Amino acid sequence: MDFSFTDEQQMLRDSVSSFLQRSYDFDARSKIVRSAEGWSRAIWEQIAEIGLLALPVAEDAGGLGGTAPDLVAVAEPFGAHLLAEPFIATLLAAPLLASVEDERLEGIMEGSKLAALAYEEGHGTADPSHIAMTAHRDGERFMLDGEKRMVLAGGDADLLLVVARLEDRLEDRLALFSLSPDSDGITIKGYQTIDGRRAANIRFSGVQVEKDDLLANDIEDALRKALDTAILALCAESVGAMGELLSRTAEYASTRKQFGVPIATFQAVAHRLADMKIAYTKARATLLYTAALMEAGHATERDMAILKGQTGKLGREVGEAAIQTHGGVGMTDELAVSHLHKRILANDALLGSSEYHLRKVGNLSRS
Amino acid sequence: MEIDFSPELEAFRAEVCDFLDTAPTPEIREAGRKLTSVFAPFEQVMAWHKILYEKGWAAPSWPKEHGGTGWTVEQRYIFAEEYRRRDLPPLLPQSLGMVGPLLIDIGTEEQKAKYLPPILKGEDFWAQGYSEPNSGSDLASLSCRADKDGDDYIINGSKIWTTYAHHANRMFMLVRTDNTGKKQQGITFLLLDRVDYPGMTIRPIVGLDGFPEQCEVFFEDVRVPQSGRVGEENDGWTVAKHLLKHERGGGAQSPTLHRGIERIREAAKDTPSGFGTSLAEDPVFLRDLGELEADIASYEAFEKLGVSGHPMANDPSWPSMNKTMNSVLTQRISVMMTRVTGNEGLPLQHEALRVGANVEPLGSDLELVAMPYYLNSRATTIYAGSNEVQRDLIARTAGRGA
Repeated sequence: MDFSFTDEQQMLRDSVSSFLQRSYDFDARSKIVRSAEGWSRAIWEQIAEIGLLALPVAEDAGGLGGTAPDLVAVAEPFGAHLLAEPFIATLLAAPLLASVEDERLEGIMEGSKLAALAYEEGHGTADPSHIAMTAHRDGERFMLDGEKRMVLAGGDADLLLVVARLEDRLEDRLALFSLSPDSDGITIKGYQTIDGRRAANIRFSGVQVEKDDLLANDIEDALRKALDTAILALCAESVGAMGELLSRTAEYASTRKQFGVPIATFQAVAHRLADMKIAYTKARATLLYTAALMEAGHATERDMAILKGQTGKLGREVGEAAIQTHGGVGMTDELAVSHLHKRILANDALLGSSEYHLRKVGNLSRS
Repeated sequence: MEIDFSPELEAFRAEVCDFLDTAPTPEIREAGRKLTSVFAPFEQVMAWHKILYEKGWAAPSWPKEHGGTGWTVEQRYIFAEEYRRRDLPPLLPQSLGMVGPLLIDIGTEEQKAKYLPPILKGEDFWAQGYSEPNSGSDLASLSCRADKDGDDYIINGSKIWTTYAHHANRMFMLVRTDNTGKKQQGITFLLLDRVDYPGMTIRPIVGLDGFPEQCEVFFEDVRVPQSGRVGEENDGWTVAKHLLKHERGGGAQSPTLHRGIERIREAAKDTPSGFGTSLAEDPVFLRDLGELEADIASYEAFEKLGVSGHPMANDPSWPSMNKTMNSVLTQRISVMMTRVTGNEGLPLQHEALRVGANVEPLGSDLELVAMPYYLNSRATTIYAGSNEVQRDLIARTAGRGA
């Protein structure tokens, strides 16, 4: 049993961290997030150059075939540095394109094109079985009506991948369609999320889809796999953010003086730091353990629910404790602390909150 | 990263199951079912220890050259899982988990040769003499003194919360040998070959659950040989801290917690929620159970990282984090058990809890043990250094490793 990174993974992690330290410190990141576009194409190109956009794609589809631990090695520093660029969006879209051998995958992996997965229908659609949007047959074509919400990179994508129910004969299956964002009947309302990512709500009103743009009439298996990968990455990001919050808060508490002494010398503060460290350690252990299970092909639905549930819950605890310990400055936009907390909150809400996942653990009997 | 899921492990599991299904006597099984504490009923657990020793399985965490099993982490967990699944009594920790590993790490060759084999065989049981009436969390302030006299020490003072001292035949303890410097500097670690030296008195203390698990030990001019010292004179604090790492450090405790969840789930099926369904169908109960289960799963991941030697486990506060998590989860399990048993857990059933008593319990096994287990588990956040003390230690390195 071994949960440590390989030398290659450690090198990957170190190189991602040093790249971000060089080009993406908090000030640089803040400027990028405040810019009109809200993210940096230059940074995105460099991320593509390192090969990180090919990481989630299998080798036989032209990708790097990254393992779950590879992904953790990359996503932890992304979380610690609050990456605003559409990495999670690409993690969701690229493996689905690969599963249908779509040639547009190449441009996605190169970073020249962006794909967004229009999956979410509101309130953190945690399970694909809840997808309600239906594609109606219209002769040779299909007709899409409904709304997708919180589509990561949905306002910036060159290509929309839409998950919808296909009423086909007697079967009820989840299909995958590809659409150009400027197709007739599509209204895209883009926005920034609280944690500095870009997303969109997308309304489909009588959108006609050609037969060839039905990429798969049964995407569920590939979709669930992509969602699990995204959950792992979201949790790794949050754990990275938690680590950053812990070290920043420990540092602050040992230098900030009140009543003539560093506040860390007060037991009430010290014990909150200890609780933060326990929460972080628990979350990171869960992350690494789940990554090892995924790599071995043994991660169950329950394992994924535990990871997502625990990370959300523990992350919130760490973030709230960090703000409390920082006091007034923790409340400002000027420090990374509040931004790290917001990243954790956002990652918790995406793809099923901790409430949802912990309840799911209760419903699933232990095998 | 790597977790072994090879078919050989299933063969190992079958071997473990076969042994655990056949080897324990009915009394040993009864002791396990009636467990209401970390510390199992003495007579039966020592009988079980000897059976495990004969099989070579008494000390999975010891190095192989000292009688350990040489199992991989996966094997240790399979053993622990199957062991707990059968509600068998856990072997007592003081000898196997504390003084044994300490001697393996820093004992002299003579001490190892003399003390390790009878610990392994289950012939010796050691009591731990650390706390004193006025030295609990502030352990280094201890005042039970040992004065040199020829080749001996003369001990005067008392120790308290000495678990199972009334069953022990040996004792390890901390004594004050110097009062002049910092309080940590005048402490010495001693091994006592007997607990019936002239001048030694052991008084059992009845706990809130109604059982005499703890003791107070009094020393009045007790003469013991200096050869029982571990480490140098006045350097006992270093030795004690080393031992505490073993006492607080991790092993394979999560299977015990998982087993608690299993028992709770089973019992919930037959328990009305008060809202028309069974507790097992009650969404609020299931949600709370899910939250606890997930936290136990995280603890399992933490434990496995530790046992497999992940770099994170080199953190000096790892044993304190382990102790904090484990103790709180144990308490939460016990709370959940009493939530299921409700007022069926209220009858005092001391006689039915005694192993070998032919007294039929009023209700289920869980209803028999849940309340005493809950009461006894209040100790988990107090013993081995209260969780407040652990948090002090964890906070000192809060930013490290993050």
